[in-house]
Amino acid sequence: MEPTLLKARGLEGSRTLASYLSRGGYEGLRRALALGPQEVTKSVIDSELRGRGGAGFPTGRKWTFVPKDHPGPRYLVCNADESEPGTFKDREIIEHDPHLVIEGIAIASFAIGAHTAYIYIRGEFVRWANLLEQALGEARREKILGADVLGSGYSLDIWVHRGAGAYICGEETSLLESLEGKRGFPRLKPPFPAVVGAFGKPTVVNNVETLACLPSILTRGPAWFASIGRPRNTGPKLFSVSGHVVRPGVYELPLGVTFREIIFEHCGGIRAGRKLKAFFPGGSSAPVLTAAEVDTKADFDACAEAGTMLGSGGVIVLDETVDMVEAAANLAHFYAHESCGQCTPCREGSDWLVDILHRILAGHGRAEDPDTILRICRFASQGMTICPLGDAFSLPISSIVSKFRDEFERRIAAATPAPPRKHPVLPWAGPRPGFGR
Amino acid sequence: MPKLTIDGREVEVAQGTNLIEAARLAGIAIPYFCYHPYLSVVGQCRICLVEIEGQPRLAIACATPAADGMVVRSQTSSRVREAREAVMEFLLANHPLDCPVCDQAGECLLQDHSMDEQGGQFSTHMVETRRTFPGLERRLLGPHVVQNQNRCIHCSRCIRFTQEISETSQLTYVSRGNHAYIDTFDGRPFDDPFSACAADVCPVGALTLREFRFRKRAWKLRSTPSICPGCSIGCNLWIDHHERIVYRFTPRENPKINATWLCDYGRFLAESLNAHGPAPTFRDEDGSSSSPPLEETVRALALELKAARTLRVVASANLSNEELFLAREIFAGYLHGELVTPVWPGEPRRMKNGHGVWLASSDAHPNANGARRLGLDIVDESGLARFLYGAADLTVLLDPLAHPYLAGEEALQLLRVGHTLVFSQRQHAVCEFARWTMGVASLACNEGTFTSGADQVQRFQAAFAPPRGALPLWQWFTLLARELGLARLAVATPRDVFQLMVSQERSFAGLAWEELGGFDTDSYREHQHVG
Ligand SMILES: Cc1cc2nc3c(=O)[nH]c(=O)nc-3n(C[C@H](O)[C@H](O)[C@H](O)COP(=O)(O)O)c2cc1C
Ligand code: SF4
Ligand code: FES
Repeated sequence: MEPTLLKARGLEGSRTLASYLSRGGYEGLRRALALGPQEVTKSVIDSELRGRGGAGFPTGRKWTFVPKDHPGPRYLVCNADESEPGTFKDREIIEHDPHLVIEGIAIASFAIGAHTAYIYIRGEFVRWANLLEQALGEARREKILGADVLGSGYSLDIWVHRGAGAYICGEETSLLESLEGKRGFPRLKPPFPAVVGAFGKPTVVNNVETLACLPSILTRGPAWFASIGRPRNTGPKLFSVSGHVVRPGVYELPLGVTFREIIFEHCGGIRAGRKLKAFFPGGSSAPVLTAAEVDTKADFDACAEAGTMLGSGGVIVLDETVDMVEAAANLAHFYAHESCGQCTPCREGSDWLVDILHRILAGHGRAEDPDTILRICRFASQGMTICPLGDAFSLPISSIVSKFRDEFERRIAAATPAPPRKHPVLPWAGPRPGFGR
Repeated sequence: MPKLTIDGREVEVAQGTNLIEAARLAGIAIPYFCYHPYLSVVGQCRICLVEIEGQPRLAIACATPAADGMVVRSQTSSRVREAREAVMEFLLANHPLDCPVCDQAGECLLQDHSMDEQGGQFSTHMVETRRTFPGLERRLLGPHVVQNQNRCIHCSRCIRFTQEISETSQLTYVSRGNHAYIDTFDGRPFDDPFSACAADVCPVGALTLREFRFRKRAWKLRSTPSICPGCSIGCNLWIDHHERIVYRFTPRENPKINATWLCDYGRFLAESLNAHGPAPTFRDEDGSSSSPPLEETVRALALELKAARTLRVVASANLSNEELFLAREIFAGYLHGELVTPVWPGEPRRMKNGHGVWLASSDAHPNANGARRLGLDIVDESGLARFLYGAADLTVLLDPLAHPYLAGEEALQLLRVGHTLVFSQRQHAVCEFARWTMGVASLACNEGTFTSGADQVQRFQAAFAPPRGALPLWQWFTLLARELGLARLAVATPRDVFQLMVSQERSFAGLAWEELGGFDTDSYREHQHVG
């Protein structure tokens, strides 16, 4: 397939406005301005584009949730927080083609009637924040952005907002809190951001890759986009493949390729002649699939049928040398560190999982541990929490325990009893720091 | 008005009512930690999960508005019970379970809900080492609030209180996830003027009050409805007492005045209610003093009053409507004395009511409006000074705390001229030379009504009987009335005085004693210790 999103990769000076214009850049925006917001939204609905941020929600549908008659401003937010482990696709687009993202933002903003858009980018992405700033500067100078976008009378400004380093700020409502200068705590829904979003105004949050799909939908038409992949799962998709493959990296492939093709054809198979053991199809939050499930199609619906999700498209490949208990502990550690701490099940459950898994790794597992893990996961997911971070660790970890239970049991069988605790369990039984000495 | 069914009971509620409140109306208690009727809804604790017919997932009752035809299951759903049990287990995973040494025990939502949702097992399958916060186990956050972070269940009520109610935003989370803790920005003292409310809203023993902790087990306390004596706003409160000692004030819910809040100043007046006036003392010309028995005292007082050619009386805006009424009838009406009521502006105080509106105090007394209603002569400091300059051979002070001016050099000198009778709740400089000092029992032993700044007449009750020698002021007055032959005023209870006042005073006409309590509205505190 000829690349759309990564067209610029490998071109000399691809980041400049001149290069972008020479490749037909901002043509999609020009068309959009001529078509009018309704027609643009209709094209996107017809293209069946689904959000690339993780949930796979139909993008055009999301736009229509913005109240038509809402007085006052509305906003578009480009989600460039990209913190899901194993996901590094948005960065790749910005690295090679920042103007593609800007054009996408402009099209989406025009469609929903926003005159201000924000790019929320993760704090660690200093280089890519700078690249975006440079590109925005060029676009403003050339009157592509500003009071009179491409001479159409439509005005738009785009601001880059850097996060402060929290995975949870990729979740859209938490992102909005952070954007408003507050602590990154996810909000209760409803109301959804499309109705009450940034600064209390209707706001659409879209992922970088989602927005980067828009220019080509406008220039080449929704039918062309819908012809890629299969119905309801259309268009090109970036897969960021990491782990034990010969050629890790970002691949642009049509939705619906199988994971076998991704891993064994495009990435050259498992490194050092080893065997595939398992893989996370869509970032670390997606339930794990085993080698036997490698023929699953890499699209939203097929992954859902397989009991997992396409998520961000970050494929993490594990070979036969991987210890699944360690993998689970690694995941638990990440999510416990990133839990915002609001919801009881997520806050307590994630930390509890870390403790259990580390105890098993230290050789002191107990027979009831796998069931305790499954119980924690069950009650930290499926609507037990405000945001889906509870699900994001519960589902993959419970899938690991279910699919590789024998590995847990083997370790537990070989376990020794835990040594006496070093710390007193009861706080008053130990030294009392600070007060009343 | 949506009509819905909760656990098989039908209930009709106002539009916008959430399921917790709807269930409350239906007589069903849905447990909650992070929800508070006067704070924003955050849905963090997840204990309030309910099953709603037609919805695949459990929903949180605090954030779900009642809708017409909704069928909700709480206790009757096994899914709900299972989920709540799991949430309890999560909450207890890192909780120290130090109830025996925790001062919140007995009024702790975690204990209560563990009883309900876990059958009193207080258990968790957690076998790992508990997370602790070394150094944050007994920390003074500010002048009143002591923190034990190990017990915190991260409900964020205290944070929301300082953001939404007291508007100082002094409290915040520091750090993230399971290691987040409550702190002030930059370690500054938590000196919010409403800081003790943070300990009130804390459902567990993470925030407790320096003044109260370890002084009395919560289940020993009896609560008597009363009114704050601190200023003209008239916040509703409970006097919490045991064996005739007042231990604390806690807010009593009143949406129109103080929602479920008290300011620190008013709250910590509680201690002062344990001071009851000195025994009746007679001081002779030669300086010798004696304490005659009550009947003799009253008789002598009556004689002294009748003998006076010119009588002046300083009343007080700290007295109840009934006491002011009796004072006016006896001293001004019958004895033809001159009577003034000093009013002192005091420190400005404010309180936010249940609708988010700030109320401001006009003065430092609970009943200046009562004095106004009764048409008494209100004076400020200079008015009071002028009043005392005028000659009289007998001065009666109904409350030496009526105005700070009365404790000043000038006032004391003026009062030394002629005889002084003083009714006092506490030792006071005037008592040193007054001819008669009569002990008055504190508000804890008094019953009556105050008229608030917003002109609401509110009733307070007596927590316990006064100690020997001290009487509530109204009782001194009725005894005096009997002695003076004023049978009409020699009634037996404050309620009788009130009836008399209602029948005689236009400004009190139509009021009914029974309806003035504000006790008819069920207090949240009695259901789930919210305030
Ligand atoms: C815990 C969590 C983290 C997330 N992180 C990201 C992220 O880093 N980048 C992103 O685009 N979306 C992320 N999302 C998804 C967003 O909430 C949101 O669904 C997405 O930005 C919508 O864009 P889309 O419709 O274009 O997919 C995250 C969601 C959750 C629950
Ligand atoms: S699920 Fe976890 S991350 Fe999400 S809001 Fe709740 S505590 Fe925060
Ligand atoms: S009371 Fe509903 S989530 Fe805490």
